Amino acid sequence: MSNVNINVHHMTRVEGHGNIVVNASDGTVEKVQWQVPEAPRFFEAMVRGRKFDDIQTIVSRICGICSISHSLVAIKAVEDALSIDISEQTDMLRLLMHYSEQLQSHVLHVGYLVAPDLFNAPSVVPLVGKAPEAVKTIIGVHRVANQMSELLAGRITHPITLVPGGFSKVPSEKELRQLQDTLKAQVKPLQTICDVVASVAGNLPNFERDTEYVSLKQDKTYTFYHGDIASTEGTVKPVSEWESVANEYVVDQSTAKWAKWNRETYMVGALARYNNNAEYLSPLGKEVAGMFGLKKGCCNPFMNNIAQLAEAAHVVEHSIELIDKILSKGIEDERPNISPKPGRGYAAVEAPRGILFHAYEFDENFECTWGNMCIPTNQNHANIQKDFEKFVPENLESGEDNLRQGLEMLVRAYDPCISCSTHFLDVEFVR
Amino acid sequence: MGKDTIVIGLGNPLMCDEGIGITLIEYLTKKQDEHPDVDFIDAGTGGMQLLHYISGRKKAVLIDCAFMGTEPGTIKRFTADEVKSIKKLSHLSLHEVDILKVIELSEQLGEAPDEVVFFGIEPAAVEDGMELSDTLAGKIDDYLQTIDAELGTD
Repeated sequence: MSNVNINVHHMTRVEGHGNIVVNASDGTVEKVQWQVPEAPRFFEAMVRGRKFDDIQTIVSRICGICSISHSLVAIKAVEDALSIDISEQTDMLRLLMHYSEQLQSHVLHVGYLVAPDLFNAPSVVPLVGKAPEAVKTIIGVHRVANQMSELLAGRITHPITLVPGGFSKVPSEKELRQLQDTLKAQVKPLQTICDVVASVAGNLPNFERDTEYVSLKQDKTYTFYHGDIASTEGTVKPVSEWESVANEYVVDQSTAKWAKWNRETYMVGALARYNNNAEYLSPLGKEVAGMFGLKKGCCNPFMNNIAQLAEAAHVVEHSIELIDKILSKGIEDERPNISPKPGRGYAAVEAPRGILFHAYEFDENFECTWGNMCIPTNQNHANIQKDFEKFVPENLESGEDNLRQGLEMLVRAYDPCISCSTHFLDVEFVR
Repeated sequence: MGKDTIVIGLGNPLMCDEGIGITLIEYLTKKQDEHPDVDFIDAGTGGMQLLHYISGRKKAVLIDCAFMGTEPGTIKRFTADEVKSIKKLSHLSLHEVDILKVIELSEQLGEAPDEVVFFGIEPAAVEDGMELSDTLAGKIDDYLQTIDAELGTD
C-alpha cells in the first residue's frame, strides 16, 4: 500500500502562488489540501475616495491577463451605480474588446501552459524544440488576439479607451474591416491548434466529479458579457444579487476566500459556461467540442481546457459576425455625454477564467465610498479542494510522481489567477 | 510596424515601487519628441505579451523593479546573460513570468532583438499603495537621465 508525501510549494504555470499538500500512509489518505498562501490585496480599499472615472483604470491593474475583463466589469458597475446609459455601438464595441481577451487568454493558457503537460515538457520553451510549428501557430493566433485588444482597448493590456458612458476613441471602419480579415485568417490556424491538442488529448486524465457550474446566461446566446447569473442546479439570479451567489467565506488553509451557492462548492470558467450554454456555441465552436467528445453536462474539470478551445473558435467566428453588425449601422465617432446620479451599482462579466463580479457606491461628489469584487479563481478554490479529495484516493496507487503531476494538471485546468498583481524581477548576477 | 527600438516599462502601480517601470514610461512618453525612433510601452504585468512587443525590434530596453541585493533606489543596467533569475517560479507562469524565459523563447523563435537591455531598480517598498517610496520618487530624474543616455540623448 502506498505511502505518499507531496508538498508542492508555489506550483508552476499558474498565475500566483498555490501549494499542494498530500499525505498518505499504508494507502490511507491523511491530508489533502489545496492551499493559497498569497497575501491578500486590498483593492476594494484602494478605490475608496477615487473619482468614478478613475475606477476602471485602477482596477485594470488587478490583473495583467484579465485587465480588460476587470476594466469592463468596473465600467459596467460604475455606469449601473450612476445611472449612465450607453449606446448600442458602445455595447457592441465593448463586447468585441471582451472577445479579444477571451481569445488572448484561452490561446495562451492552452498553448503555453497546458500543452507542455500534454507533450510532457516542463514549459513552452523546450516545447519549441519538440513541436516548433505548433508553437509558432499558437504564438501567431495569440499575436492576432493581442492586436485585436490593441485596436479596441488602445493597448494590449490595461485598456485606455474605456470611459464611463462610452469610448475615448473608437476604431475606424477600415481598421475594423482589416481586423475582420485577420480574424477570418485565424480559422485555419485555430483548427491546426485543435488538431495538435487532439493528438495528445489522450493525456488528459479521465476524472469526473459531479458539481455545480455557475456562469452568465442570456436568452439564446453563448454569453460572455450580458445576462443573469445561472447555475446548472436550475437557479437564476439577476447580477444585482451577485453577493448572494458568491457567499464568500474564509477557511484556515487559504488566505483567499472561498465561495458556495446551492451546493458545497461550485465551478466557474469555460466548462461552466459550456454546461450552461452549449447549444448556443457557434458552428465552429460546436465542431471543436465535437472533436474532443465534449458534451453538455461534462463534469471532468480537465475538459475545461477543451471548452476554452471551443470558446476560442466561437469568439473568432462571432467577432467576424459582430464586426459586420457594427459596420452595418455605420461606425459613429461618438463621445460620451453623461449626467451621472449618485448610487450603488453591480455588474458581472465572464472573465476568461470565469464569472467576475464588481460593485461600487458613489457619493454626491461621485467619489467611491464602497467597493466589492469577487474574482473567478476565488470561486473555484473550494471546488479544487473537493476535486482533490476525490482525485487523490482514486489515483493513490499511481505513484507519487504521477499523483503530483495529476494534481498540478488539475489545478492548471482551472486556469487559476491566484495573485493578480505583482511580477517583480528577482535576479542574481553571475558575472 | 513598430519602431526599431522599444522601451518597455513593467510593473504594477498599485504596489508602490513595483510600479517604477510604469511611472518612468509615463515620463518618457511625455518626452516622445526627443526620441522619435523609439516606442515607449507600459506593459503592466502582462508577462507573455512581451514576446510580441519585442518581436522583430533591433533593440529592447526593459525597465522593472528588481531585487538585486543592492541599496534601495539603485538603478543597474544589465543584459540577460549577465544575470540568472532566482525566482522560485521559472517555468512560465504569467504574472510570475520570468522575463528571461520570454527572451529565451523569442531567441528560439528567431525573432529576438539584436540587443536586449534591462534596467533594474531596487525597490524600497513593495506593498499595497499607489505612491512610490520617497527613495525612488526622489531619483526619477537620475533614472530618466540614465535611460536617455542609453537611447542616445543626454
